[in-house]
Amino acid sequence: MKRREFIVLGGTAGLLASTGLSFAQDNWPSKPVTVISAYPPGGTSDILARLVADVLAAEFKQQFTLENIAGAAGALAGGKLARSAPDGYTILVSGSAPLAANKVVQTNLAYDPEEDFEPITVLAASPALLTAAADAPASTVQELIAYAKENPGQLNIGNPGAGTKGHICAAIIGQIAGIEVNHVPYKGSPPLMADLLGGHIEYSLDAPANYIPHIKAGKLKAIAVTSTTRLPELPDVPTVAEQGIEGYDQTLWFGIVGPKGMPADIITKINDTLKTWAALPESQALFTSFGVAAVLNTPEEMRETVAREIEGIRPLVEAGLVQPT
Amino acid sequence: MDIFSGLLLGLQTASTFSNFTYCFLGVLLGTAVGVLPGLGPIATISMLMPFTFGLPVDTALIMLAGIFYGSQYGGSTTAILMNLPGEAASVVTTLDGHEMAKQGKAGRALAAAAIGSFFAGTMGTLFIVIAAPILAGMALSFGPTEYFSLIVLGLATSMVLTSGSLLSGFGMVLLGMLLGMIGTDVNSGMARYTFGSPNLLDGLNFVVIATGIFGLGDVLANLETESSRAASIAKVSSLFPTRDDWKRMTAPILRGTGIGVLLGVLPGAGLLLSSFSAYALEKKISKHPEEFGKGAIEGVAAPEAANNAAAQTAFIPMLTLGLPGTATMALMIGALIVQGVQPGPNILNEQPALFWGLIVSMWIGNLLLLILNLPLVGVWAKLISVPYRYLFPLICVFTAIGVYSIRNSAFDVYLMALFGVLGYVFRKAGAEPAPLILALILGPMAEEFLRRSLLISHGDATVFFTSPVSMGTLLIAAVLLVSILLPAFRRAREEGLVEAD
Repeated sequence: MKRREFIVLGGTAGLLASTGLSFAQDNWPSKPVTVISAYPPGGTSDILARLVADVLAAEFKQQFTLENIAGAAGALAGGKLARSAPDGYTILVSGSAPLAANKVVQTNLAYDPEEDFEPITVLAASPALLTAAADAPASTVQELIAYAKENPGQLNIGNPGAGTKGHICAAIIGQIAGIEVNHVPYKGSPPLMADLLGGHIEYSLDAPANYIPHIKAGKLKAIAVTSTTRLPELPDVPTVAEQGIEGYDQTLWFGIVGPKGMPADIITKINDTLKTWAALPESQALFTSFGVAAVLNTPEEMRETVAREIEGIRPLVEAGLVQPT
Repeated sequence: MDIFSGLLLGLQTASTFSNFTYCFLGVLLGTAVGVLPGLGPIATISMLMPFTFGLPVDTALIMLAGIFYGSQYGGSTTAILMNLPGEAASVVTTLDGHEMAKQGKAGRALAAAAIGSFFAGTMGTLFIVIAAPILAGMALSFGPTEYFSLIVLGLATSMVLTSGSLLSGFGMVLLGMLLGMIGTDVNSGMARYTFGSPNLLDGLNFVVIATGIFGLGDVLANLETESSRAASIAKVSSLFPTRDDWKRMTAPILRGTGIGVLLGVLPGAGLLLSSFSAYALEKKISKHPEEFGKGAIEGVAAPEAANNAAAQTAFIPMLTLGLPGTATMALMIGALIVQGVQPGPNILNEQPALFWGLIVSMWIGNLLLLILNLPLVGVWAKLISVPYRYLFPLICVFTAIGVYSIRNSAFDVYLMALFGVLGYVFRKAGAEPAPLILALILGPMAEEFLRRSLLISHGDATVFFTSPVSMGTLLIAAVLLVSILLPAFRRAREEGLVEAD
């Protein structure tokens, strides 16, 4: 009997030791956690990543260090996360491209967002905004379509990276309206907006946050919002659907994921902390000022969001409307 | 924000206890590495950068900047007292500075260098205050075509002005661009030259490369000359320039400052060009050119003023356009990005405290340097007698820790070691490595802007010639490249650079 107990105990201890992680989880985070930001500093995705790092650092009394790994529509950051140890000490905060779309948009992706990541939560969502330089010829979606039909191949729309939501939103408009769009990828929002303000590119499709102050100052023209409802900050800007493209509804979202195999209780800890924090009125106001709305769904709901997004884009890629790269 | 409230804000930022302390620490370290041959500002900044990640962004930048311009002061000390240029831009100072020291006028030469540097530093800072907001306002008119052309100019300049043969300069730029290709393509997400290694997917981190080439490479090269390092230090006499000295050095300091201020802004030109040009100009217009090389105080004052003025104004393209003109500025950009600040025209609006704080700290730093360098010159001279057998192991340890802590990657430490060996080989082959580092940064930027320009123009390459800024910039680059082929220019360049060797 004793001997048997001993073996069982020993076996259990061995099992615990072999997983190893189970011990460490109780006092997570016992060392600094790396928060990967998939876009360069200054864009909405990066602002949210910094916010998440600050909130978690304050809650867990531990350093959450931010690491910007920009480029290839977040594919570099996604690859980095997939290669990280699933010990709860590396998470990724990012726009949706590296968490979903890249799977079908990028042919040489070094990871599979559905297989290699553990969803934590969708942090926030917002419509994208079609914006024009102050002296661009078109001010409405219909004018834009007319311009593209008169000048085939001449319509340039900038996006914050190949395969980003901005890229996909523009491709869908092109598909429905039957026009040719020349997509120009940038390394995130700030350089795209700088070129738009300088008039070097005429149109952009991107997250609204950075653009709203310039639109209010009259330096840029807002053409359309990609969701079915208008933006509270820009009540005069109609949706794409309102401007004759029926059924058009695209939102971009920002999510948090960890590497595959990240312990479930750490995921819960992060999810709970952020959910509690996001419910505070001052947090809500903060989200609104970035032009996004808080979502904070469960990891399972996020898994569905990811799958839905991928399935939505796959036909576009198969029809050749979004060029796989 | 107007200039005065900006300067006030800058004063507030720069005079906080911690910022002032780190500014002091920066210039102190800068002087030390300037004095020590074999440890330049690039190596020091790349070694210390990871340690500044925990500091607030303004404090980190203030300290790193202090190291950079502080090394310009320190470099002249060893150049004058020992005929050993502590860093590259001080090479010219050895010509007349050490001659003066041999004639027992070391103190006066040091004073000329320090006073010239201080005046030039003040003017350089003032120039940033006036020019940077203007340039930042113009920055929006810089589109991808203009950026591409500016980068081409930067690469061409760094190639023409490198010491050593033109062919090796060209080779280093090319090698740097090739190394910059490693990693994931921004437009398509394709992996290039990674040989299937995930460590290379993010590209080569230039801090790792710079630390390897400039830090470890210098250690290796210096190990070889350790025994032959003759430490004959000239005695320092009176530090006060005579009335005649003042008369002779005032105009050269003014001219040197002017040259330095302007050339510092030019991407790729850097400090070396400004000190060479200032020296050449003084020699040309002097009434007694025969004294140059035999202890003319003009030959100390002018280049020292020029390289320090350039050390200040080199910040302008970095702060306003996000474009690094020199390898050191590329490191500063890296430091900013890690801290979540995107260098470029928005810095002025979004980070006014950082921008103005840095500028005011540069002036304070220059003042500190004047105090540090003149009365304490004896202490610095002693620093040279620190045996390398203590210094080198320390450098090796710090580079390894620094590089590892950038992204906790052992691969990076091996990579640094590899580039340390390469750095040694470059030195043996007489190839100046600075253009390689610059090309490593600018190459991928050039590619990004070239491809974007062509995407927007639907493949029409004439856009580079229809924009006046782009056209002008490309023209200057072309003239520069063609002029190398002219025998007269070639001879002048070789003379200038050989004299320095």
